Amino acid sequence: MSDAVLSARGLVKSFPSGDRRLEVLRGVDFEVGAGETVSIRGESGSGKSTLLHLLAGLDTPDAGTVAWSGSPDTGAARRATYLGFVFQSFYLIPELDALQNVLMAARILRPPGAADLARAKDLLSRVGLAERQRHLPAHLSGGERQRVAVARALMNSPRLLLADEPTGNLDEQTGAAIIDLLLGLSAETKTALVLVTHNLAHASRCTRQLRLHLGRFE
Amino acid sequence: MPWYLYLALKQLFPTGRRFPFFTAISVLSVALGVALLVVVLGVMGGFGYQIRRMIVDTEGEIQIKARGLVADSRSVVKRVEAVPGVAGASPYAAGILMVQYQNKPAFPQMRGLDMASVERVVPLGKFVTAGSLDALDDDSVILSEGLAESLGVPIGGTLEIYTPLMLARKDLEVILPHSVRVVGVLRIGHQQLDSSTVYCTLRLAQDLYGLARDVHGLNVRLKPGANEDEVAARINAVLPPNIRAFSWMDSFADFLWILQLEKNMMMFVLLFVVLVAAFLTMSLLLVLVLKKTREIGLLGALGASRRQIALCFCLQGVGVGVVGTAAGLALGFTVLHFRNDLVHAITRLTGGQELLARFYQFSELPEHTEPRDLLVIVVAALVLSTLAGIIPAVMAGRLKPVEALRSE
Ligand SMILES: Nc1ncnc2c1ncn2[C@@H]1O[C@H](COP(=O)(O)OP(=O)(O)OP(=O)(O)O)[C@@H](O)[C@H]1O
Ligand SMILES: [Mg+2]
Repeated sequence: MSDAVLSARGLVKSFPSGDRRLEVLRGVDFEVGAGETVSIRGESGSGKSTLLHLLAGLDTPDAGTVAWSGSPDTGAARRATYLGFVFQSFYLIPELDALQNVLMAARILRPPGAADLARAKDLLSRVGLAERQRHLPAHLSGGERQRVAVARALMNSPRLLLADEPTGNLDEQTGAAIIDLLLGLSAETKTALVLVTHNLAHASRCTRQLRLHLGRFE
Repeated sequence: MPWYLYLALKQLFPTGRRFPFFTAISVLSVALGVALLVVVLGVMGGFGYQIRRMIVDTEGEIQIKARGLVADSRSVVKRVEAVPGVAGASPYAAGILMVQYQNKPAFPQMRGLDMASVERVVPLGKFVTAGSLDALDDDSVILSEGLAESLGVPIGGTLEIYTPLMLARKDLEVILPHSVRVVGVLRIGHQQLDSSTVYCTLRLAQDLYGLARDVHGLNVRLKPGANEDEVAARINAVLPPNIRAFSWMDSFADFLWILQLEKNMMMFVLLFVVLVAAFLTMSLLLVLVLKKTREIGLLGALGASRRQIALCFCLQGVGVGVVGTAAGLALGFTVLHFRNDLVHAITRLTGGQELLARFYQFSELPEHTEPRDLLVIVVAALVLSTLAGIIPAVMAGRLKPVEALRSE
């Protein structure tokens, strides 16, 4: 067994499509070391999101295995502390302000204490939103919302950050700032990062670059 | 506070924002249903309570009856009054008469009262509205208000009385009535009793009915706080087996059963209003689940279990139930408090205040809320609202995070 943060062996995933099956992943091997940053590119529909879902334990592969730090337990309880997520859509809870959205990640594990509150505030100021803690998502710009989502993803000090096109809904400049933030924070906190992106410039800033094509890494 | 409770509360009552539409509508519908139940059952309970008070006021808490007649009523009274918890006992005779005043006949109930003891059981004096109770002797009667009015007989007027006994005396060719003076008018406050009753002395009633010294029964008043059933059992222990004591609840068991049945039917029917409110809550919650599909996916990605996600939505149903029930109780009791002002306002608009008094026997709406009814209302509203949360909750819990995240 490997002591990689994340290791996947022979992942196969297909979806029913009419009376045939659409084979999206055809045997993907993948490994991420501690603190490593990996970018994944690929055409639209090549299965990048599908792969991330399998890696995160949100979906089960038809064949193959996923392990986190060598353990095959990818259940909800472990996911909460092991993984952080950033999506193309920000998925903030509209009824909660920025601070409470960040705290939600901790709240799912336990009723948050003073330390959690301090950490959430610290994370918000690190993503540059110290002044916006009490703002509801509706009163934040797209870039600001994605910053809140990044802070939320880091709330439980995960070992691995999964980002699925985090700049997809943002303009060039704002997107670049988010990538800066993700790379900076993951280096600072020694969190491994898997970044799915269409943007070559963003991808090339990662220590390793992969391309998903016809269900396999090229 | 677990996260699902926190989020449920935040979704129901977000800080710094107006009540969301969902919360306002569903809370209001539950509240209206609960308020309706509280008001209707309160007023129906009030009628029942009023009738109970009237029975107890005019017949005592315990009625003693015999198979046939009660002979030697004096010794029975003595024995009954010796029973602990009894404040007083008074014998009576009752029946139907035909009375006539200046060729105008009526067929009232007659009640012959033992003047020596009646005030110990029935506060008759406080019901007298004209004339006086003290003037009642063996040649006079007191009429209920309605009877005096319909006959048009004044105080001091003379009535002629016929009893069924006279008809049995075939030896006489002409039936001679018994003439009595009217010395008083009495109003108890119950339409049925007030419309047509003649009150006379026990001795006169015994004469009219040929009872000699026998009586039909006894009314018993209890000391405050004494339990009717216990005292009735104690009385039965000292009476011969052909004379039995019944608590007023036993005596009027059929009537009370009908009252209870009416109230239960009303509750059953009105609970459907709460049921409809629950359906409304459920459909609004279902819409909410659909609207929040992607957030549900996110919560899954953050490590929330399906059971917790389901609970989060179920608790919103519970929250609607709790707030709606509380608001409904508040609204219901407010309406009950101002019920007479409301009724007066309505009758002033539509007319018919006298009709109301005539047909419903009370000019003011009575109110009496049974704790048991209140408990049923509250439990039903809470249970139905919780059930309303369950189907949306199951739907939310069934969503797979991946599908929820993919939904656009
Ligand atoms: N639940 C599903 N049922 C059927 N087909 C699916 C399902 N989920 C994904 N697919 C298909 O699998 C393929 C890969 O989807 P996926 O979302 O992983 O692509 P992607 O690489 O993330 O694309 P994009 O860059 O546009 O986000 C697509 O063709 C998609 O239609
Ligand atoms: Mg995708």
